[in-house]
Amino acid sequence: MSVTPETDAPETAAVSLADVSVSFGSHRVVRDVTLDLARHRVTALVGPSGCGKTTILRAINRLHDDTGGKVTGRVTVGDLDVYARDTQPELVRSRVGMVFQRPNPFPTMSIFDNVVAGLRLNGVRNKALLLEAAEAALHHAALWDLVKDRLHTPAVRLSGGQQQRLCIARALAIEPEVLLMDEPCSSLDPIATAKIEELITRLSTDVTIGLVTHNMFQATRVSHYTAFFQLGDDRATGELIEYGLTEDLFDKPNDPRTKAYVSGQVG
Amino acid sequence: MGAWKKEPEVADPVDRTTSTLEEIPPAERTPVAGVKEALQRRWDRPGGRGYAALRWGGATLFAAVAIALVVTLLTSSSQAFGHSGLSLLWTGTWDPTHKIYGAETFIVGTLITTAVALVLAVPIGVATAAFLSELAPRWLATPLSVLIDLIAAVPSIVVGLWGLLVLTPAFAHHVEPFLKTIPVLEWFFHGPALGPSMLLAGVVLAVMILPTMVALSRTALAGVALTDREAARALGGTRWQVVRRAVIPGARTGIEGAVTLAMGRALGESIAVAMVIGNAYVIPHSLLAPGATLGSAIINNFGGATPGLDRSEVIALVVILLGITALVNAGGQVLLRSRSRPAVH
Amino acid sequence: MTTETAAVPAGGAGMGHGAARRRELIRAQSARSLRRRHLTGRGAVGLCVVAVAISLTPLVALVAYTTSRGIHALSVDFFTKIPTPQGIPGGGISNAIVGSLIIVGLAAAMAVPVGIASALFLLERRGRIAGAIRFTADVLTGVPSIAIGIFAYAVLVEPLAHFSALAGSFALAVLMLPVIIRSSESAMRAVPRTEWEAGLALGVRRGRVVRSIVLRGALAGIVTGNLLAVARAVGETAPLLFTTGNQLFNLSPLQPTGAVPLTIFSDGTSPFPADQQVAWGAAFVLLLFVLVLSVIARLVAGRLNRQAR
Repeated sequence: MSVTPETDAPETAAVSLADVSVSFGSHRVVRDVTLDLARHRVTALVGPSGCGKTTILRAINRLHDDTGGKVTGRVTVGDLDVYARDTQPELVRSRVGMVFQRPNPFPTMSIFDNVVAGLRLNGVRNKALLLEAAEAALHHAALWDLVKDRLHTPAVRLSGGQQQRLCIARALAIEPEVLLMDEPCSSLDPIATAKIEELITRLSTDVTIGLVTHNMFQATRVSHYTAFFQLGDDRATGELIEYGLTEDLFDKPNDPRTKAYVSGQVG
Repeated sequence: MGAWKKEPEVADPVDRTTSTLEEIPPAERTPVAGVKEALQRRWDRPGGRGYAALRWGGATLFAAVAIALVVTLLTSSSQAFGHSGLSLLWTGTWDPTHKIYGAETFIVGTLITTAVALVLAVPIGVATAAFLSELAPRWLATPLSVLIDLIAAVPSIVVGLWGLLVLTPAFAHHVEPFLKTIPVLEWFFHGPALGPSMLLAGVVLAVMILPTMVALSRTALAGVALTDREAARALGGTRWQVVRRAVIPGARTGIEGAVTLAMGRALGESIAVAMVIGNAYVIPHSLLAPGATLGSAIINNFGGATPGLDRSEVIALVVILLGITALVNAGGQVLLRSRSRPAVH
Repeated sequence: MTTETAAVPAGGAGMGHGAARRRELIRAQSARSLRRRHLTGRGAVGLCVVAVAISLTPLVALVAYTTSRGIHALSVDFFTKIPTPQGIPGGGISNAIVGSLIIVGLAAAMAVPVGIASALFLLERRGRIAGAIRFTADVLTGVPSIAIGIFAYAVLVEPLAHFSALAGSFALAVLMLPVIIRSSESAMRAVPRTEWEAGLALGVRRGRVVRSIVLRGALAGIVTGNLLAVARAVGETAPLLFTTGNQLFNLSPLQPTGAVPLTIFSDGTSPFPADQQVAWGAAFVLLLFVLVLSVIARLVAGRLNRQAR
């Protein structure tokens, strides 16, 4: 393990979930998840496919609102109660950035327009602020030197890995305190993956990161904490099996199910 | 969890990239490769003379008809183009008794009525499509979409009849007098309110192309990737912002294709326009004035044209109309194709 | 992997000053503008609803008015009698209905086989010729129907020196062809290649495979496309105006024949209320026929989708 939590810093929760369940219609996808994402740390959500990792991640920024998913339990981001009656989902999302499985830059927009798309959506029209935020975000995503001379070319001309970093820049441009990443490397080649992983490590000094991954090695490489999910006994609903420091979870798991999965995957 | 499923890894002895069997040395050919070889041979076998004759016969006949269409119309109009040359395009008088033939009035009328139709149908059509595809709940969107798709099948003659017997008096007595009272629009709407007019023709065309506009725009909007919508939503955009900033721009080329196809239809419509435009052969000075389009002029002149130059001149109008619509439709097809091609990654 | 900290902005752990300031500005702007953004959204959705109302009003009014006027014109006589002289009430449009059926039936008999054969050609062949044929079909879809009517006049009316149902059928067939070709081709393409291979692997002749597997698999799609093409053709007026001729009752394809759209045109433009009444009746009959055909086409397509699932 090259990344270790700085144990001297107090570990406060930037995001906390208490008894969160998500269901679609009559199907409960994941249930009773209680989990904290520690501030300025990377928390990996791992486990087999179909066990609710992504579903839990999307519950944090209320992305289930329009797709018919029903979320119960309590989610807080900082001091904000995400599912409170008077909480506006748009304001939650402007504090919580998200990066998806496949790079999804807006295909009709230029690189610059993509980076500042979030700011514009949030009502920012100040040109100086747009430029400043775009440059900072592209620096952050290690793209600035690559694209600074062609900011106004279409974003889809970038390679897959570069597009994904552009999406990270786009998410970072609105200065979120939390960044959710849903298997951000699943469509990328190993070199692009390494770059994104490097980026995740670096970004965690400034933002809290929740990372869904099916790659256990990736979890050990970049995360401070790991949460292991698996289907429960009914074989239909995902559950959080175990949660702890990444090295503990991989080296000396408490739960036999974690142990079985980890030894099977990492060997 | 997401739809991500790892493809099961099946041991495949044949490299998927090798397409012909020759690339695999015979010693290394596996039974699987043998089957593939056999399949490929069967696939490539032309398969029956009768079947080939059928395919080639059909395609040849179709191509022959398409070529005959163009050739026939060109030869039938050659006398006219020989008589008036290209000046037919910019001569404003149509006076068969004095052998003066000019299509300018009709070209202008065609363009104006089409423009009126598009000004009305495009924004309304796109907004309707946006509502049905993005904003309305399913229980409302589905029946309304089916209704509009069905209405798209209403024949133009029925629209024309309704325009002639219902809209014409309504326009003469209510709509046109009202429009004349709006101060700023005076420049467009002046002169006597007669009923039959360029405006009415444009409105009838708009009613005709609207269902097409809605259906094609809806397809274009629905084709925008879910991931684009989610990106905008996750950045804090409101529901309308997602539609306005992610969905509509993403569907732009498709919508442009829809507009071009609708435009082609408006340009080429003849019968419904002939029923409501008033058939006046002067360049109109106002949208309330009667006029004529290429289509309506063909309808009104072909029957009475004497064989020879007279008829040839009318067919020249057909050729001009054909040229305009072919140009517009080819453009529309190109746009629709560029849209259906996946984005370069 | 070694942790690289070189690129971390000044300040090391934690945010730089600029970032904190930007976050504050953006948050404030986001919260401040949210009300306006919601209002704009609501306004825009309201405008869209208005647009839906504007779209539906004339379309529904047109159908409703035609129905209400046309339904009064219907009677047994309307379907069995021939027209009375201009301006005289009574009579029927039997000649036009029979004429339309003959003309469209004949048109389908010409266009469907040629269209499906051409679709097979496009299915089996790639390259420039297929591309050219496909492009021709796409462009021909947009050719004004009046141009096709004049073309049919030039090749079938002028040489024979008289109008005929056949000339009208030919014009409608030309109109239907591109629609049939493209819809049939896409229906055939939807049949998975594995099903072809299954047949070919058994050593069945290709023509037979096409007949028993591809055409059968694509049948619903082909039927839908053809029905929609017929529905479009039966309402066309411009191609018939100078090809089929007058309104006589006639069963021979080589003689002048009436058609429902022509009845609507001539009676609708007549100044006599009695004639206009006949036009509404004919319009209603035509509308009903076209809508029923479209609904059937949709149901067939719906069955196809359900089977595919």
